[in-house]
Amino acid sequence: MPHATAMADTHLLKKDHLKGFLRKLAKEYRLVAPVRNRHGDVLFTVIDDLDSAEIELVEPPQNSLKQFFLPQQERLYTYTISPEGYDFRPAQTSIPPTVYFGVHPCDLYAMLYMDVVFSRQQRDSFYLRRRQGSVLIGINCNTPSPNCFCNATGSGPFLEMGSDLQLTDLGDRFLVEIGRAPGHSLVKRWEGFFTPSTDKDRAAHYQTFLEARGRFSRQVHVEQAIRQLEAGTVPDEVFAELSLRCQDCGGCAYLCPTCTCFTISDQQLDANSGQRLRSWDACTFAGFTGMAGGHNPVQAKTGAIRQRFTHKLRDDVRLNGRPSCVGCGRCVSICFGGTDIVRFVERACQGSI
Amino acid sequence: MPQTIIDIYLPRQAKVEQIVVENSHISTFILAFSDKQYNDTFRYQPGQFMMVSMPHCGEAPISISSTPTRTGTIHLSVRKAGKLTNGMHGLRVGDTIGLRGPYGRPFPMRQLTDRDLLFVAGGIGLAPLRAVINNCLDQRDQFGAITVLYGSRTPSDIAFQDDLTLWKKQGVDCRLTVDVAEAGWDGAVGLVTSLMDDLTTEPSQSTSLICGPPLMFRAVLGRLTSIGFVDEHILTTMERHMKCGVGICRHCHMDGKLACVDGPVFSLAELRKLTIMELAE
Repeated sequence: MPHATAMADTHLLKKDHLKGFLRKLAKEYRLVAPVRNRHGDVLFTVIDDLDSAEIELVEPPQNSLKQFFLPQQERLYTYTISPEGYDFRPAQTSIPPTVYFGVHPCDLYAMLYMDVVFSRQQRDSFYLRRRQGSVLIGINCNTPSPNCFCNATGSGPFLEMGSDLQLTDLGDRFLVEIGRAPGHSLVKRWEGFFTPSTDKDRAAHYQTFLEARGRFSRQVHVEQAIRQLEAGTVPDEVFAELSLRCQDCGGCAYLCPTCTCFTISDQQLDANSGQRLRSWDACTFAGFTGMAGGHNPVQAKTGAIRQRFTHKLRDDVRLNGRPSCVGCGRCVSICFGGTDIVRFVERACQGSI
Repeated sequence: MPQTIIDIYLPRQAKVEQIVVENSHISTFILAFSDKQYNDTFRYQPGQFMMVSMPHCGEAPISISSTPTRTGTIHLSVRKAGKLTNGMHGLRVGDTIGLRGPYGRPFPMRQLTDRDLLFVAGGIGLAPLRAVINNCLDQRDQFGAITVLYGSRTPSDIAFQDDLTLWKKQGVDCRLTVDVAEAGWDGAVGLVTSLMDDLTTEPSQSTSLICGPPLMFRAVLGRLTSIGFVDEHILTTMERHMKCGVGICRHCHMDGKLACVDGPVFSLAELRKLTIMELAE
């Protein structure tokens, strides 16, 4: 259950002061926020000109923060082959310290999950370099969208922990909760923008939370599906049926804020040089597990679909105590085959009745 | 202050010092890191693997076939299977490849102490077991009797012949079989399980280490179980597609486990808890 009462250290930021605060931040940080573009799409975007950017804090952005930390494709190394040897040079990319502003709780939980993935077994330098200089400013969701079900994955609509600053829209002002140390420094540094919060503000925060919780249009029984997977009682037919309808487009994995599987491949530039690339991959692709010579230890399609849902709802619960689906609903909106995770949860639960 | 993080994907250069042609499709590459200091301090354990880079071919996991008791070089025994391994078969002495590792959970050598060891391999499957066998032979007094059962397709496919000859001289009970005989072959013909008929192995004092194609693996498991081996004393090493080798990219998933970090070595007791192709009916 997400927290109901605001964290102890809270402040107020008047909405009129938001642009001013962001302008100060933009002088010292690269600023990324959900911006509505001229086509009407809301996307996390690097903001160059704050005055012309239409920051959208209610409608969830179509992309998540994943691409900023694990780009769709990144160069890891350039390599050269010469009589002296076969030499790899790390790609030189400088990542500016960045403030990610207006991050919804689902995407913030996804960041915390990625932090674990990229430092559990071994510390992934390419991810952590981007993460080290980042500040996360979250916004709680007062009005969940039709495909949202973060209430069922324990990752919303309000955030419990993990951001540097956490904002709640209280009409003409934001309640600002201080999370991690970088958030404390920001408020201290620009304290002129903030005023003390009162008990009344904190009561309004609680009221807003209660109302938000009541606004979900979907009832998704994630907990029940988790239990079914753990008990091994999801019928094989459920996976078979879903795999028949999967069109192998990878859209779910690419949009998913917690799908972090990747591939590494070489791109030859000329006879004696090339670059090593890391790119997003998807466990639903038939070639994901295929080995040299053509053998594939995972039964194509059915096994791949099983892996997708079992990883998110069983294996990650075993490892981290919570599913790695954050209920953002992006796969629901992108999947034209009807094989998204909500459909899986529904079918898995039906199968048990 | 941002801390420096070691680049875990950076391959190190290694030179081909020697190539042993095992058969028409398997060769053993004897390698040393170009950085002498690194090479001198490099350590690994039997059952671990390296991520191998070949120009324009990306990377592939290859199990180490040498024993850590003999330092200075790493042996990689490689069968031609795809683009990268075919590329390796074009290597010449003095050429450079990229290596990072060692990775993976090794064979539990301490648990093998004082036990009789029954190695069962098919084809290239002898490569990772060779690391264990030579390790045991180098510390002979720490292990019991050693038996090696090795199946090949035809007599000319029998790899690691130099090793097999040496092992026999050192008292290892080596038994060979082929699927299809050729002129001049007077040895056994048939599945590697046929070599188990007159085994005198005492299952309660033995551990079996298996590596080979899935069909062989299942047949051997059935046989071992029927003669009294318990799942805890049957060990194997799994082959999977891998990209990172360090538990992040997830290409080697096995029903919630990852071959690269949870394996590649598993006991049968551990594998029985998983739904995997190797144990499918």
